[in-house]
Amino acid sequence: MKFDLVDQVLEQEDGRIVTIKQVTLAEEYLADHFPGFPILPGVLMLEAMVQAASKLLAAKGQRLVLGEVKAVKYGAMVRPGDTLRVEVTAGATKDDGSTPCKGKGTVLRRDSEETDTAVAGRFSMRPARIE
Amino acid sequence: MVMDRDDIFSKIQEVLDDALGVDEDEVTPDASLVADLGAESIDFLDIIFRIEKAFDVKISQGELFPDNLADNADWVADGKLTDVGLEMLKGRMAHVDFESFENSDRSISKLADSITVNSLVTFVELKLAA
Amino acid sequence: MRWLWIDKIIDHVPNKRLVAIKNVSLAEEHLHDYIVDGQVIMPASLLIEGMAQTAGILVGTTSRFKEKVILAKITKATFDSDVTAGDTVRYDATIDRLDEAGAATSGTVDKRVAGGDAWERIGRVELMFSHIDNNMAGRAFPKHNFVFSDNFKMILKTAGLADLACTDDDF
Repeated sequence: MKFDLVDQVLEQEDGRIVTIKQVTLAEEYLADHFPGFPILPGVLMLEAMVQAASKLLAAKGQRLVLGEVKAVKYGAMVRPGDTLRVEVTAGATKDDGSTPCKGKGTVLRRDSEETDTAVAGRFSMRPARIE
Repeated sequence: MVMDRDDIFSKIQEVLDDALGVDEDEVTPDASLVADLGAESIDFLDIIFRIEKAFDVKISQGELFPDNLADNADWVADGKLTDVGLEMLKGRMAHVDFESFENSDRSISKLADSITVNSLVTFVELKLAA
Repeated sequence: MRWLWIDKIIDHVPNKRLVAIKNVSLAEEHLHDYIVDGQVIMPASLLIEGMAQTAGILVGTTSRFKEKVILAKITKATFDSDVTAGDTVRYDATIDRLDEAGAATSGTVDKRVAGGDAWERIGRVELMFSHIDNNMAGRAFPKHNFVFSDNFKMILKTAGLADLACTDDDF
């Protein structure tokens, strides 16, 4: 299984990106989360926003990592067969190298017009730090 | 603890910045927690914990935000707050300004919109003076 | 990829504190998709999940796993440095508030590099959990506690804490 949470980029412009992540029973971890009741883990919704932000901000092939999270709230559940639509906007990079971002994920379901918010909040991206 | 309204407001800005992830400049006195700052029920719990810590006060359930209203038929009928219900709330929640709610359709789902940043500041002021 | 982000419980203070560790190994496939400057990095979102599982089990023990507890909010998380293969991560979670609606927890994340002795503080995570049966009225959930599965039961058993779980098969 690959750890790639951006299936497609729908829109991208300076400071803003919209991506989607499909949820499928083929994803192994769903068997554990939860047995008999598969739902996309909240931290993977966060990771989908983080990977979208990294795509938006980092030069091609490079990767920024998650440095800080602020008030990320979870709402609707995302199930196999659903799509998570992620929208991330980024602010200006600060002197310490971190870039503040705002993200939101909504659930798109095959059988319904309604879109519920699955995740929303703020986070900050930065270069990796390994000694 | 002696604090003036400005000191209280400043601390409430920090509380809301931490609990809701909003910038301090979005936290204006008239901003509605739900309608303008995106607060949900999980956030109300967080806000209560943080106000308790920031001002060293104890807040009991239902004191800051009204709860279990719908359970009482005298207060809520057809999804709307009755006159009796409104009078009860005005008495119990002196920190909230119910004027615009009073003049609206009084639908219970809109009640939380009346809780503004000012409501929190007034609540703390009353708590500290008690 | 399994969804178990802690390996072993190493300390427990009933209803108050739980400490767990996780080894980070190149055997974990997802690390190979997270490479920066030639080094693999454990995604911070998975460090948050490690804390969520540590804190979630702690909150679960307070009701002997009768309540289904899920993550409702990441109040705040900060990571000052990153984790790579060969490191061990330590999650130290404490319950700050607990009531029928849910719980608020805070905790520290430390790492110990391969061959090293010392633990280095690398982050802090504050979380809020919801008791879903109470808070999601009208939604249908299976009756049994699917949140705390056999995997967690095994970790508790290894730590000598199996008695904290329900004795019936609902767990």
